[in-house]
Amino acid sequence: MSNAPLIRIFKASKRFTKGKETITIFENLNLSIPQGDFVAIMGPSGSGKTTLLNLCGGIDRPTSGEVHVAGARIDSLPEGALSKWRAANVGFIFQFYNLMPMLTAAKNVELPLLLTKLGGAERRKRVETALKLVNLADRLNHLPREMSGGQMQRVAIARAMVSDPTLLLCDEPTGDLDRTTADEILKTLQLLNRELGKTIVMVTHDPEAAKYARRTLHLDKGVFTERDVAAA
Amino acid sequence: MGDLYLIRKNLFRKKTRAVLMMVAIFVAFLLFGVLGSFERAFNSGETGASATRLVVNNKINFTQPMPIAYLNRVRAVEGVRVASHWNWFGGYFQEPRNFVISFAVEPDTYLDVVGTDYAFVPEEKAAFLADRGSIAVGDAVAKKFGWQVGDRIPLTSNIFTNRSTGNRTWDFTIAAIFTPARDLVGTDVVFFHYEYFNETRSFGRDFIGSIVLETTDPALNDKVADAIDALFANSPFETKTVTEAAFNKAFAEQLGNITLIVTLVVGAAFVTILMIVGNTMVMAIRERTREIGVLKTLGFPNGRIFRMVLGESLLLSFIGGGLGLAAAYGACIFLAPLVGGFAPGLTLALPVVLAGVGFMVLLGFVTGVIPAMNALRLNIVTALGRD
Amino acid sequence: MSLASQIVTVTAINLRSIPQRMWVSLSTVVAVALVVAVLLSFLAMANGFQQTLRGSGAPDVAILLRGGAGAEINSGVSRDQLRLIEEAPGVVRTAEGKPLVSGELYVIVDAVKKASGTQANIALRGLGPEGFAIRDGFRLVEGRMYEPGAAEIIVGRSLLDEFAGFELGKQVRLGTATWTVVGVFEMGGTVFESELWADVGAVQSLFRRTNFFQSIRARMENPEAVSALNDYSQADTRLKLAVKSEQAYFADQAGGAGGFIQNLGWPLAVIMSIGALAGALNTMYSSVAARTTEIATLRAIGFGGIPAFVGTLTESLLLSVVGGTVGALLAYAFFDGLTASTFGGSFTQVVFSFQLTPELVVQGVVLALVVGLIGGLFPAIRAARVPLVAAFGEK
Repeated sequence: MSNAPLIRIFKASKRFTKGKETITIFENLNLSIPQGDFVAIMGPSGSGKTTLLNLCGGIDRPTSGEVHVAGARIDSLPEGALSKWRAANVGFIFQFYNLMPMLTAAKNVELPLLLTKLGGAERRKRVETALKLVNLADRLNHLPREMSGGQMQRVAIARAMVSDPTLLLCDEPTGDLDRTTADEILKTLQLLNRELGKTIVMVTHDPEAAKYARRTLHLDKGVFTERDVAAA
Repeated sequence: MGDLYLIRKNLFRKKTRAVLMMVAIFVAFLLFGVLGSFERAFNSGETGASATRLVVNNKINFTQPMPIAYLNRVRAVEGVRVASHWNWFGGYFQEPRNFVISFAVEPDTYLDVVGTDYAFVPEEKAAFLADRGSIAVGDAVAKKFGWQVGDRIPLTSNIFTNRSTGNRTWDFTIAAIFTPARDLVGTDVVFFHYEYFNETRSFGRDFIGSIVLETTDPALNDKVADAIDALFANSPFETKTVTEAAFNKAFAEQLGNITLIVTLVVGAAFVTILMIVGNTMVMAIRERTREIGVLKTLGFPNGRIFRMVLGESLLLSFIGGGLGLAAAYGACIFLAPLVGGFAPGLTLALPVVLAGVGFMVLLGFVTGVIPAMNALRLNIVTALGRD
Repeated sequence: MSLASQIVTVTAINLRSIPQRMWVSLSTVVAVALVVAVLLSFLAMANGFQQTLRGSGAPDVAILLRGGAGAEINSGVSRDQLRLIEEAPGVVRTAEGKPLVSGELYVIVDAVKKASGTQANIALRGLGPEGFAIRDGFRLVEGRMYEPGAAEIIVGRSLLDEFAGFELGKQVRLGTATWTVVGVFEMGGTVFESELWADVGAVQSLFRRTNFFQSIRARMENPEAVSALNDYSQADTRLKLAVKSEQAYFADQAGGAGGFIQNLGWPLAVIMSIGALAGALNTMYSSVAARTTEIATLRAIGFGGIPAFVGTLTESLLLSVVGGTVGALLAYAFFDGLTASTFGGSFTQVVFSFQLTPELVVQGVVLALVVGLIGGLFPAIRAARVPLVAAFGEK
């Protein structure tokens, strides 16, 4: 595990206006996550943990402050450049898998590769490798509706991994799964972190899930309440 | 897998819906193909007319006759290359409902004038010119009644009486069966020798219906027409000379404004599919908000997502429209013999197909642009928001 | 709760949810409206044309044409034949003993259509002195009658409205002579109103057709006398004229072109209905999909499947009836009373008005209902079969 921070959030604030009211999610939040880390972010609903994850993944921007991820200051990147940056650097895993219902497992995994210049044969090879990694080599041609929740989430992990990003962002990845299946998914994530060195940020409200991470951050009302590693 | 694959999968994810929309589009393009071709064929007399052909009629009305002596005087007018004449016979075969568009003509000059319209077998043409009791038959008529070269057929007139027999029937030998020599020419017509008809008819002898002529140069048309009409001014039979196109147009318009009717019906069909397909596409894309959010998260650029949504409505439009035009092609073949009399050469022609393809593109864009804009503007965080 | 009150409740809930699907529901309404409007405009056109022709003929007026002619324009009758008919049995005579027989000459002349500015064929009819006594409903509404033998014409109201240059007092050049319009007549919107009328003697001499007629009209004592006249005519070798009642003559002509328009309207409407039906099915399937949770919840609390079925079918029928009504109103607003002209049986223009009758509107609404019924049936079956688990909000 190298010590250079992969994610550095500096004095980030996020506010919404809802009608005449201004809702503050967090204010002047600082966070630093080094390359190779596996961080669980816990906190009650509305604590701002998903917003924080969205900032890290470049799908949302702070109202003020800076977000540096993988060597780029992503809060000020224009939309098009941000899309390219996401495709190259981040893999997302969601609670409800978010697979395309009309595509097979293999085609779902192949989606991010459509953004690369790779040829068909190379793409197929990578898809197979990614699905093998999550033990789904035998489900290549199944549609999402023909698979269990755990299988769908493993397809989603393969999709996040296929373009070999440095950073994996997981939003409640086991929120919809039973304990045994959840454990399998979390073990897979742990493996990706330990064996392949992927940096993982996982939002969860499940303490059992958080145990798989190297460390846990608690976010409440936009403030980290305790932290086992000092942030910047 | 490429974008087209994704577009196809998206389109057919709800098969019933996709098929229903295609049926609606299919119907509209079937109507467009058939009615558009019909309108084109109906107006072919105007658009398909020869540039150098003029028609001379009695000024009172084209149904009024002129003396045959006029023909030679017209021939003497400068700028006239060849002139002939035709005479409405009002013929039918055996039964009045077997109506046959039939003309008594001066054969050699007439075939010269309309030479670019009809194709003859040279021997048959020669036989027709040589035998004054013979008749030249369009292949559409020959097919309808099963006639062959060499057959002896009776034609009955609802106007004239045959002096040699006392009834209204003339017998002819089929010397030639001709075919269309170019697009939009109907062969629902027969020609026979004026001389034979004139000698045997009981009244109207030495009068002719219309003179038809070719000028040496289209630029001379107006001058020739004026010269001819001046020639017969203040005579008992004044004339009116117009181009064949103008004559045919006026005749077609007497039936009614077919173009307007076709435009209204096709317009109604297109408004219908615009409403149906436009609404459904907006609805379909709204249902996919979350998936579009995911694609954006994965790094798909906005432009590509816009193109994919637009591509979906275009694909829909092309499948439905393409099948519609294909069916229109078949329908035209089926309808051609039934409407040959007033819409000659009915077929799904290239201009109609091209216009159809244009409408498909237009339909695809119009129905796709709103959902595509919606997808383009979609904010990822909102799209992924918990339901 | 009885089944009836269940049905009422569910249908009410169903119909109240239509505004939530306003646009897609509107697309069905528009689709059905346009189909019905197209159908009704064709039917109104065919009906107007046929009514004009059918209304033109009296059952007790005989029209005599040369055998096989079929229409006045093709026919030819001599003065001798006219005299023979004047002596024929069954012909009504005036108090002075004059037979009500009119030898008529029918000449086609050119006139300019106001709507398109193009030349069209119209009829100049020369009538015998008894021509007016034979025809019922003739009314001279402006000017005066033509003088026998003079180059004067009276013009039908429909023709005056549709063609340029025939206003009262105008000079019109027809053939080699100049004629003066001295009167305007009406005749109940019949074919005759699309004609120019003049004295037969004047027409014969100015068009060089002396002693030549094209038809003979005779007022008969009763409709049966018409067929007796036919027998009489066929028996006399000097005559051999075909005799029909004027009513039958115009009915034949009405069948031709009018039938053609009608035969065009229905297939077009049926083909367009298939498109509208696809739209209706689409709308109703999406309605059922949007209401799945609601239907399943109602099922879970004890409602049956039939109310869901009836509710869906009612929604579909309602949308299509609204569409059908809008379509009928469109047809009424844009086409009813619209005048047009086309070729009648004698190669001349017949002016007619589109006539939208209640019977035709019923046909249009029936077509709308059929679209609504089929378009609602299959989605209604799906609604009745919504599984109870759908109440728990499947993703």
